[in-house]
Amino acid sequence: MDYFAGVDIGSTMTKVVIMSDRIEASLIGPTGPEHRKLANRVMEEALGKARLTFEDLKYIVATGYGRINVPFADRQITEITCHAKGLHSLLPTVKTVVDVGGQDSKGIKIQNGKVMNFVMNDKCAAGTGRFLEIIADSLGVPLEKIGEISLAAERIAAVSSTCTVFAEQEIISRLASGEPIANLIAGIHDAVATRISSLVKKLNVEPDIAVTGGGAKNIGLVRALESKFGCPLLVPPEPLITGALGAALMGKDICDKYAAEGQKPTRSSRGLEEATFFK
Amino acid sequence: MAFVLGIDVGSGFSKAVVLEGGVIRSFALMPSGGDYREAGRMISQETLRKTDLTMDDIVYTVATGYGGNMVDLADQTATDISCNAMGVNHLFPSVRTVIDVGAQYSRAIRLDDAGRIANFIMNEKCAGGSGKFLQVAARILHINVSDIGELSQNALKPVEFTTGCAVFAESEAVSRISEGASPADILAGIHNAMASKIVTLVTRVGLAPDCAVTGGGAKDMGLVRAIETELGKKVFVPDEPQITAALGAALIASQQL
Repeated sequence: MDYFAGVDIGSTMTKVVIMSDRIEASLIGPTGPEHRKLANRVMEEALGKARLTFEDLKYIVATGYGRINVPFADRQITEITCHAKGLHSLLPTVKTVVDVGGQDSKGIKIQNGKVMNFVMNDKCAAGTGRFLEIIADSLGVPLEKIGEISLAAERIAAVSSTCTVFAEQEIISRLASGEPIANLIAGIHDAVATRISSLVKKLNVEPDIAVTGGGAKNIGLVRALESKFGCPLLVPPEPLITGALGAALMGKDICDKYAAEGQKPTRSSRGLEEATFFK
Repeated sequence: MAFVLGIDVGSGFSKAVVLEGGVIRSFALMPSGGDYREAGRMISQETLRKTDLTMDDIVYTVATGYGGNMVDLADQTATDISCNAMGVNHLFPSVRTVIDVGAQYSRAIRLDDAGRIANFIMNEKCAGGSGKFLQVAARILHINVSDIGELSQNALKPVEFTTGCAVFAESEAVSRISEGASPADILAGIHNAMASKIVTLVTRVGLAPDCAVTGGGAKDMGLVRAIETELGKKVFVPDEPQITAALGAALIASQQL
């Protein structure tokens, strides 16, 4: 059996997928300043889960914001390409992907698993997972709970600030004046959804639309995005791993292409080791 | 001689100026806090306390600023843009471009040859070019905002931030610190990021010399230098850059006499 691995080093989370003709193992861990240098640890753990060794892997593709920090990867491919590839394998009817990451958000138009066009915001924290993280923190609510809490909102408490810094102040003062937390979180989801949908609508949005990234795990945000796009949105079973899955699939394609020409792809000379900087 | 009062209740600080025949008799500044009505009263008291005057001696009072509408002892209000323009024009008649870096907003105001407002642009949507960014920097470095300017002068290799977003810069700064960047290099990098945002506003209103910087941001010499570098021009900074709008409000008050 041939095994392929995809490593997606996001700004916030690191994801690894190991696959053969099916997903053998997937793993999600926080990136953090140290983890970025230690992609090998997440890989080791994923290999353990799949009961494989590093030598069993035929090809490794790294993707995401920190993809250059994976010395053992055989190739680096952008996360946009990998996302499109991974999502297409999971939900083949999807033409538009909305990816809400920890520090960016993107819209990707796909056709047959290939990227046709994309838009991205990584310049401003508003409209990214970071915004939700900061607000959840200042409300003293765990980030993974805000989606469910917001479903109990009686109304959407509209947030007028765009900037995360100002929105945080606004939320704190609204909370002090007695606005229920659920309404405030619903307002925050509405603000984030407005920002993301106006970014993605720069593309020619066509259904089906899927949501991926950490934001897709927030049911309140998904509902808010549905109201902005005016249609139901598809969410993959594990919305964080589409990039890593796509990376593993890209690795398989690369090997297949070489094999068709009777050749073997060149592989990284580095083993499973830490990224070394300044050398 | 008649006395007039100008009060500027900003989102961060309240300022007031007592004028007598166009000359500043006294001024004061203090944090606004959450109650702008109270802030207006407190700052007026504080300013009058520095003179032998009482509120009864004040013939006319103009309030301005973010909380200006809440100031109940004012005879009228005026916009902070017009007050700031008026104050700067009084201090530096040659200035045609005013850059105001406040606690939550930054603005660029273009004046015509008569010193009247020709155009202005305000950024209230993003903390990236506002004093708030300096507060974030002070918090992560555990220093006072007032020490930032001097500390930044020791920078050897300013950190280059990838975005002008105050939130993203905060996490980037934390990473750079863990990699050994000095506080001075972090601060100089933040000054450069802010200056680049601020100068975008200036470009949009059209830069015309001379140029002045006002607001709390003007007290940070590091930021002023960064703005000068980005503009490619020297700028004027008032001795008390935070009170220009209050001065302008007082000047408007004296026109009512």
